[in-house]
Amino acid sequence: MLKGIVLKIPSDNSIVESVQIFVEKIGLTAGVSEEDVTGLSIAVMEVVKNAMEHGNGGDIRKHVTIHIDVFSGRLQFLIDDCGTWQPEADLGHEPGEGEALISSRGRGVLIARNLARWLDYGLNPEGKTRATLIWPLS
Amino acid sequence: MKIKEEMKDGVMVLRLSGKVISGPDLMELKTVFQTAVNNDMGNVLLDLGHVAWMDSSGLGVLVSGYTSLSRAGARMVILNATKKIHELFIITKLITIFETFTDEKVALASLKE
Repeated sequence: MLKGIVLKIPSDNSIVESVQIFVEKIGLTAGVSEEDVTGLSIAVMEVVKNAMEHGNGGDIRKHVTIHIDVFSGRLQFLIDDCGTWQPEADLGHEPGEGEALISSRGRGVLIARNLARWLDYGLNPEGKTRATLIWPLS
Repeated sequence: MKIKEEMKDGVMVLRLSGKVISGPDLMELKTVFQTAVNNDMGNVLLDLGHVAWMDSSGLGVLVSGYTSLSRAGARMVILNATKKIHELFIITKLITIFETFTDEKVALASLKE
């Protein structure tokens, strides 16, 4: 049983691909199917990239921490950044129209929400932004 | 991701396959779009029939290619987006700017108009 895995990474885009491969391996080990595992890793990495870019403002000195646990029938990712984003102020974010639609803001979270069975934003015990992504295991 | 380029009826056809996600391959796709604009290659037909997955970085490169081509007076249309990719276009609302086709002949004809 995979329990208590913690991955602390700098907000550096060059590390994203390696972390994605790691997430896929964790997914496969936990029992996610070959067919679904890319969807899982894309969902997790969209949240991670969002944390790096928006939560940590792309500051390489700031870290994103990923806590991974397997529970009975579900795989849980807690993704913490150093930001203090207030989700309640941004609930129902829409992609926008025209120029706003062309810009990339918010697209990653929309994709993650679409792929993940459960994605929610809140605060960790230190009052920083925490995303919770839960993937059911069949 | 693999990229195959060909000219068909005067239209540049780009056929992508595999995963259009973050990584070095995406830079290659970006370069292909930029070369098409710089060399005044005209309209682009983007075949996504064999694309299994796409993330926000992949979408970003498609949007950037679309925007660069539009500014250069050219058009980019999409062929054979799979159900999964089409859903992505819907949730991100990009379906409102991308023209999509399921028939290559019809898509090519639309680019000649």
